[in-house]
Amino acid sequence: MNEELKGHLDSLILAVLAAEPAHGYAIMQELKARSGGAFDLPEGTIYPALHRLERSGLLASGWSSASGRRRRVYRLTRRGRARLESRKREWGAFSRAVDAVLA
Amino acid sequence: MSYVDELSRALAHRGIPRATRRRILSEVDDHLRSEPDAQERFGSPAAIANEYAADLGSHACRRAAFVAFSALGLAGAVYAAAFVSQAFANPPTETLAPTLGALALAAMVVAPQVSFVAGALALVRALRRRGRAMPTAELTVLRRRTLVALASGVVTMGALALYGYEFAASLAGWWSTATYASATSAALLLLAASVPAARAGRIRPEVAGPAGDVFDDLGLAGGDPWHFACSVALAVGAAVALAGIVQGDPIDGLVRGILEAAACLAGFAALGRYLGLRR
Repeated sequence: MNEELKGHLDSLILAVLAAEPAHGYAIMQELKARSGGAFDLPEGTIYPALHRLERSGLLASGWSSASGRRRRVYRLTRRGRARLESRKREWGAFSRAVDAVLA
Repeated sequence: MSYVDELSRALAHRGIPRATRRRILSEVDDHLRSEPDAQERFGSPAAIANEYAADLGSHACRRAAFVAFSALGLAGAVYAAAFVSQAFANPPTETLAPTLGALALAAMVVAPQVSFVAGALALVRALRRRGRAMPTAELTVLRRRTLVALASGVVTMGALALYGYEFAASLAGWWSTATYASATSAALLLLAASVPAARAGRIRPEVAGPAGDVFDDLGLAGGDPWHFACSVALAVGAAVALAGIVQGDPIDGLVRGILEAAACLAGFAALGRYLGLRR
């Protein structure tokens, strides 16, 4: 499951951030919660993915202070939102095709 | 040693730049403070550092190739402008030292071709692998192509300046002055463009996989690279020979065509493996 998940991690991160900006730890928690605990990657793997997405212009980030702690908060850019929509369409078409074959 | 310290060492070992390292460590530290148990689920510091290096190394090498090709484009414009404007600057007849004059001419013919081919190959590979982490062997090839292209570009600019100096007696003064200035500026630009490639080399990921060959560059099904090189040499030689025929000097065209084809094959033999054209 985790190896398959790695190929889709970028899209999943974009989907989590579509709701609201979040920091790495919160994104990981949300991924686990939304997947019912099925997506349980080593937590450290999220940061290279976040940095990669930011470099590609799909995310933007900035430091914020809360309870005296500095946190890097990520948010979706306009380009990131457009990419997420296109990934959703691609995934929908792909999963419908797979379902049709498996049914 | 704490997890963050271990990660810091692993990142430094992979050559991640200091500023990026600081940011990564700060985020990881925050994550681990949010939930102390997270350390067990965080993953090995070495594996995380390698993942960063794979991403950053690929990005840096691709960027270096794009920067190099842009700089080579400007240097190419300088070369073309010198070549075209020379028609208005008297014919080059007298040379100070015939050997140096011949050397400059030879370098002005060979070096730009090497530079263009290596630069174009670097650009093609960088575009083909956009958005993907490349294997270590492929990163090495991409960086070599970029550096060979830039080094050949600097040699071309040096040869152009030497040519201007050697034939200064017969060429117009304005041409020599303009050529010195533009060739020096272009050479400095090319040297500056080599900085991103040198920096990319400091990031050392360990990703298994092949370096690829000329068929990966062109997106063609695999084959024998030597057959491909012979076909290209034949096509280039024929084009040069045809140009000679069109210009009314078929013998000269034929000789130049044969030399060009032989140079193509010699280049492939000498640099093919180094530049990742054949395995």
